[in-house]
Parts: sequence; C-alpha cells; structure tokens
Amino acid sequence: MDDLLAEFVAETREMLEASEGELIAWESNPADTSRLDAIFRFVHTVKGNSGFFDVPHLERLSHAAEDALAEVRQGKRKPDTALVSAVLAIIDRIMELIALLEAGENLPEGGDTALIAALAANSDIATHADAGDDIPAAENLPVHKDHGPASPQRSIRLPVELLDRVMSGVSDMVLARNDLAHRLREAGNQPMIDGPFERLSTILTDVRDAITRMRMQRLELLFSAFPRLIRDLSAELGKLVAVELEGGDVELDREMIEMIRDPMTHLLRNAIDHGLESSADRVQAGKPSMGLLSIAARQSGNKIVIAISDDGRGLNQDMIAAKAVANGLISEAESQQMSREEILQLIFAPGLSTAETVSSISGRGVGLDVVRENIERIGGSVRVTSTPGAGTIFYLRIPLTLSIITGLTVEVGGLRFALPQSYVEEIVRLGGDTLTYAKVGDTSLVTFRGERLPCLSLADVLDLEHMVPDRDRTMVMLRLASGDLFALAVDQVHNSSDLVVKPLPREVMETGLYGGSTLLDSGVPILLLDIPQMAINASLASDARASILSRTRAVDSEVGREGLRVIRFVDHQGRKRALPMELVQRIETISASAIEREGEAAMAIVGDEILPLIGAEGIAANDPKVRLLRLSDGHGELLYAVSEVEDAAVLDGEMVPTDIDPLVEAITLVGGESVALIDGHALFAKYGAPPKRSRALTCRLPQGEWARTILAPLLRSAGYAIAADENDSADILILLDDDDAVEAAEATDRLVKLRSQPDEDVSKAERDGSIYRYDRPALLAALRQISRGEAA
Amino acid sequence: MSELLVIAVIGTRRCALRAHDVQSVIEVGQVSPIPRTAPHIVGLAALRSQALTVIDCRVSLGLSLDGLETDQRAAVVKVAGHAFALLVDAIEDVEQAQSAPSQIPGGFGAEWTRVGAGMVETASGPVLLLDAAQLVAGPPQETKVA
Repeated sequence: MDDLLAEFVAETREMLEASEGELIAWESNPADTSRLDAIFRFVHTVKGNSGFFDVPHLERLSHAAEDALAEVRQGKRKPDTALVSAVLAIIDRIMELIALLEAGENLPEGGDTALIAALAANSDIATHADAGDDIPAAENLPVHKDHGPASPQRSIRLPVELLDRVMSGVSDMVLARNDLAHRLREAGNQPMIDGPFERLSTILTDVRDAITRMRMQRLELLFSAFPRLIRDLSAELGKLVAVELEGGDVELDREMIEMIRDPMTHLLRNAIDHGLESSADRVQAGKPSMGLLSIAARQSGNKIVIAISDDGRGLNQDMIAAKAVANGLISEAESQQMSREEILQLIFAPGLSTAETVSSISGRGVGLDVVRENIERIGGSVRVTSTPGAGTIFYLRIPLTLSIITGLTVEVGGLRFALPQSYVEEIVRLGGDTLTYAKVGDTSLVTFRGERLPCLSLADVLDLEHMVPDRDRTMVMLRLASGDLFALAVDQVHNSSDLVVKPLPREVMETGLYGGSTLLDSGVPILLLDIPQMAINASLASDARASILSRTRAVDSEVGREGLRVIRFVDHQGRKRALPMELVQRIETISASAIEREGEAAMAIVGDEILPLIGAEGIAANDPKVRLLRLSDGHGELLYAVSEVEDAAVLDGEMVPTDIDPLVEAITLVGGESVALIDGHALFAKYGAPPKRSRALTCRLPQGEWARTILAPLLRSAGYAIAADENDSADILILLDDDDAVEAAEATDRLVKLRSQPDEDVSKAERDGSIYRYDRPALLAALRQISRGEAA
Repeated sequence: MSELLVIAVIGTRRCALRAHDVQSVIEVGQVSPIPRTAPHIVGLAALRSQALTVIDCRVSLGLSLDGLETDQRAAVVKVAGHAFALLVDAIEDVEQAQSAPSQIPGGFGAEWTRVGAGMVETASGPVLLLDAAQLVAGPPQETKVA
C-alpha cells in the first residue's frame, strides 16, 4: 500500500504542476471558464483516488470543489472572485493534506468545514447577485506552496530510460563475463583467478535479477483505477455493481501493464454493459440486486493469468452462433458441429457484436477482436467461458515481461534465428523418405499423429537455401494462440534459453517476419521470428474461420476411423513393426556412442537419464544419429531403437495373434503390407524399469462387519490394497481374535494379529503377540514393518 | 559555422556526417544478415550488448559495389531511436565546417540530392553533408523493386 500511496502523492503533485498555469490564468480572470477543465480534472482525480485510499477528509474537500466547478461548467453558475478563492483555498488545503499523508502523519480532523461552507455560501450570494461578466481579478492567494517532502522518501520515481540504460549496462557486463569465462576456460584451471571470478559471476547474476525486478510493478497499480471506472460506468448505466480485486500483489513488467490496460478496461466495460443484468432483472432471476465483478490475477510459471468474471446472464451460445452464421464466419452445418466452448470463442472474431442495442459504453464496433489482437500482440492469449444465467469469465494469459522471453534457437541456411518457446508444441525430426512429408502442388504437408498439417519451410519464408537434405531437417511444431498447429522445417535446432529481446527499426519490421533482435551468449545478434505474423503471411491462420475449419476436420478424421492408433517403423534389423501410439512419448535422437551394451541388455543415455534400450541389435557403432522412440506406461520409461519412422496409422484390419516373438502381439495388414504389432504389455513387463514406488501391498482382512466397515477404509487411506475375496493372494494377512482356521494354514511372518480386548485387559504374552484393534498407530507401524521387509 | 564533421568516403566521393549525430565509429565485425529486407540493409552487428542495424551506404545510394573497397569501419548514428551502423568506403577524419550547408545549381545528382543536406566547405575542400535518416531509408520504393 505504501507504494501505491506514494504513487498517489506523486501523481497528485504532477497533476497540480501541470494545471498550475490554468489555475493562475483562471485566478486572473474567473470568467474564463475554458480554463476550468484542467482544474476540474484535478479535483475529480483527487476525489476518485482519496475514495480508493479511504481518506474521507480529502474526498470531502475535493468532492465539494468538484460539485461547485461542475455547476460552473454546466453554466448553472457564474464564476466570481469568491468562488475562485474558495476553490483555490481547497486546492491549497488538499496539497497540505497530501504533504501530511506523505510524511505518514495523521490527518487533522475537521478544519475544512469552513472551506466547504465558503464554497456553498458564496455560491448563493453569487447566484442571487447574478454578477456581471466583468469580474475583477481575485485577490491573489498563495497557490504554489513548497510541497517538498516532509520526511525522507521511501520510494523514488525514475525515468524508464534510465532503468533501460542500467539494464543494458548489466547485459553488457554479462556478455563481458561470458567472454572472460570463455578465455579462462581456454587458459585452463587457475585457482587464483577462478575463485574471485566465480564470486563476481554470482554477484552479477544477482544484480541482473534485481534489475529485472526493477522493471516489475505490482498489478495493484493497474487495479487501482478499476473501482472508479466501474463505479462511473455502473452509475451511467444505472446498474448496481460491486467489485472484487484479488492478486494485486502479482508483479508484471511496467510496459506490459500499460499494454493490458486498454484490453482490460474494454472487458470491464463489456461486462458491466452486456454481462450484468439490470437490478430488476437480477431480482427477478433470484440473484442479489447488486452484480459482482471480480478481477483476479495469479502467476503461473512465466505467465500471468488474469480472470475477469461477472455473475451476469452469461453468453448466449445460440445468439453467437446465429450471428456468426449471419456474418459468414461459419456455416450453419459447422455451427451444429461446434462445441459450446468453440462457439463462445467466436465472440473474439472480427465483426461480431452480440449487443442487441448499441449503448454509449460499448458495442460501437470496437469489439473483442481488438482485445484479442492487443493481447496476442504481446504474446498472450484470451479465452472465455460462460455458464448461462450464472456468469462469464474471461481469462487473459500474459507473459511476465515483454523484453525477456524463453526462445528456441534454430538454424537454417547457416543463419540462426530465435522463436518464442511459447509457440513450440513439439520438435520432430523428419524420418527418412517417409510418408510423413508430402508435397501437394506447391504446398508441403506433414502428417503428424494422424493429422495433416501445413508445413512451412523456414528457408522458403526467408528466401534462403536449406543446407541439409529434406530427410535430415527438423520440424518444429508450432501452435498458434488460435489453436492452429503447423510445422516449420529448419535445418537444425539448437537450444532454448532466456533471451533479452530488443526492438527492431521500422526498416526491418516492414518485412513482417521479425519481432525483435537478441544477442546470443557469444555476443552474436540474431533475429526473433514473428510466428503469428508468419502464419498470417502464409494464410495459415488468417481468421477465425480457418481455425474452425481445421478443427472440424481434425474431429472428422478421428471419428471417421476407429481402431488402434499406432506408429509404424522399421527396426534396425529391417523388420516392419508398429507400436500403440499411446505408448510413444516422443522421438529422441542420440549418438550411438551414448548406448551401453552388456550381453543382451542395452541402456542408452538421453539427456541426463539412463533408460533401458530395446532393438539395439544392428545399430552401427559409429551412427551419429540413432532414432529412439521414448515409450512410457505411465510409470516406467524405455527406449526403442528404430531405423526409420514411417507414419502413424490406424489398425482396423484383422489381427492375427502370433507367438513367433514373445514381444509381438499380432500381425496385421496396413495398406497391403504386413506389420507386426509390438505387445506393449509384454515389453514393459520384460524391460520396463520398475517404477520407484512399489505397488501397494494387499491385505487380507478377517471376516466380519468390523473389518469391512472400519478396518478396510483405514487401510485404504494408509495406502494398502484390500484382497477382494478369500482366494485372492495377499501380501499381508490380518487376523482378529485367533481366527485359527486360517492361521494354521498360512503361518507366516507377514501376519498381523488383532484382538478385541484393550491392552490393559490381557496378559503380557498376549499383549506382545497381538495388537488391540483400535490401536491405530501400532497397527500401521506393524504394517509398515512388513512392507519394509517386502521392499528390501 | 564551426560545426564538427566526420568525413567519410562513400563510392569514392568525400561526404560528411554531423559529428554531433555520430555516436562512435566502429569496426564492423560479424554481421548477421537479415533475409528479405531491402538490399542496403546488410544485417545486424553487435556493439557490446546493443544490436546495430548495418546499412551499406553505397547500396543505399544505388551505387554498384564493383571495385569499391571498404575498411569495414562504420559510423554509428541514431535514427528514430534505433542505432544504425553506416558502412562506408572509409572514414577519414573529423574536420571543422567552414560554411553553412548550401545548395548548388544543378543539384548533386538524383541519388545524392536525396541523401544530401547541402554542400559544406572544409579545409580539405567541399564535401556533401549527408542526412543519416535518408541513408537509412534507402532508395525509394520503385528503385527497390527494380
């Protein structure tokens, strides 16, 4: 709150400074009402702010002045010397109070009644007297006082430019540090230098973090304007609205706050105007007459999610669909197929306003498409959900900062480029002369998980030449904010890292390909690709229509073909195999040197993990690029070496079971070729690394009501499984009160004996040999001891 | 007029930039090309942590690069808030202007007139004072297409 208050004090001062000229001019000629605007704005803002900060004292003063000035502006009242004096006296008083606020002192009670009275009393006189236009200049009141702070300032205001300079200075230092580190490494170990250098390095990292934080500002700053906005709007529209703010302490880049101000304001207007019903309608619908608007922000990873929700009537799906059909965005048939969720997102399409009547607040053509555009421009996204009759929620997802993004570095034609990591869905290497890549006319298509997707070659986009043949290129699958997926072919993918993005001059931006420039650690500048713009240039995602069509198609193709979805590949012994798609996590590429073989078993090192490898036979020892399918059963992971990935297919032909190979489940035909389907179950049973947590131990319970209703839930909640019936095998046997029939048959150390009598009622021998059935800690301890024995 | 000028050679012609506008003179090292931009935009170079857009003044003036040498030195100027490195044949010296920029009858030739602010006398003879913004903008659209 301190920050905010300081901001308020500073803002008030700045405004007064700006309107001082007007004040003095008005003072010399009270009849000149054109001077009033700045002064009116000043008292108006002070009123709003003091309302927000709950300083009734200030609010009372500014409110009185505002009222008087409003009357003058409306021509209901003629300004005279007395009025000018009264207003100026109030402004003086406001500045005094502001100074006190800043010093953190308590505001004196009272003292302003006379000032306000002066305003009112004189107004009567003025009105009755009906003074002429030529009013002599008012006696000069001291307007400009020394507003110097009464106490040491706790915060300072800095020009952003200075911050940027410091920031770029630190970036320079980081580059110099990297350069130095590089040279030190070349020179070999030098303990004398390495220690201090390490320390310098750490400090530099700290400083860099701090500088980055300097650019951050609490969302409170943005939020503080909303209660007022909402109050004004709801008054204008005659609605009762309460506002709830949450997450004002979330920090965001200053520039980013500026960028989201307009979109958020727009959404709020929209919510008040269209979202919330009138009080009468609300009461009729059985809701409280006062509508609730809530704005909540939270940080999730490197994104901020802001939810703007109202408890109004909700969005009318049918109306939106009808509007979209009428505007030609979608066809009638499409509207039938789309889910409610999809239809609701149409409100962000250009030229779609659901407002039945145009009001003074919204619905004047500046629609939600502009909101979406603005949010997407800063790398964010916007989505809406709504429950009919219960309300609507808009979700804005915004990156933390404009200037630092996580970027993926790719190479094409010998040049490096960066692209924002947020768009990257997956990185896939093209496998050989496979069917996954197809040229239709001049357009390239890739088949990815059974979907045909457009494929852009970065070299074509940039007018360069690929340096590697088709089959060795890497596909970066990019998902746009609209949900469209497309592939970008590059020569090579390097690494992903945090990039400080700098703006580019207009001459370069004109290409519509780049979003900024950034420096690699080596100090080499590279360009950041503008992915959404690139997609638009290639007409991959020009409007809502395109994205809807592709989504419908995707749904069609899935519904149309039933069967097991598999990935087809050729192993290193030239055999055609298939694996269920669900098992495949992704395709990894490693060098053959990262494979360890021992007898039949093989392990491969991927990143920093060592995983079991299947199908290692036949891999050339010097193969630099061994492709591996990374499989997972949800717990364990293993790798399957393949020489070529063919494509994804749906197995709908007859499956012929076989036992030629224990790992092959069945043979089937795909497009006239026989394919052996790998048995995922057998595969994991044989090779899967056992999951870290051993499976839950099963307990067999004694007979009876007590065991079923009391013991079983207790054991389940402690993580044990319960054997279903007498004949099921169990790891632990629990007996109650010498259930001796079973005891004789299965005397074992995995046995827990319970008895019905409390400890104090039984002999010592019995106490040691069994556990009182309501002694929960002892029971669980006994079970734990057994399960530990099991694990060891 | 005692304005300081940075004397450069572009296409074997001596020209001048206002020393006040020139932030520094650098040796252009590695340049990352920017595909699909106008031909006079050579690429990006780094000056410490700052990225500079490198402009080849010879190309901007529509001169053929045949037979033109460069010493890889460039004047760094700021245009519209962005830093540019103006690559020239050579950068000679800093001299004092001995006259205000003036036009001469008949002009300096179409391209030179576009980028020139006028002729200035110096101790070593007359030079054409250049407008950095025009150099950065490059030849007008129709020339770019052709």
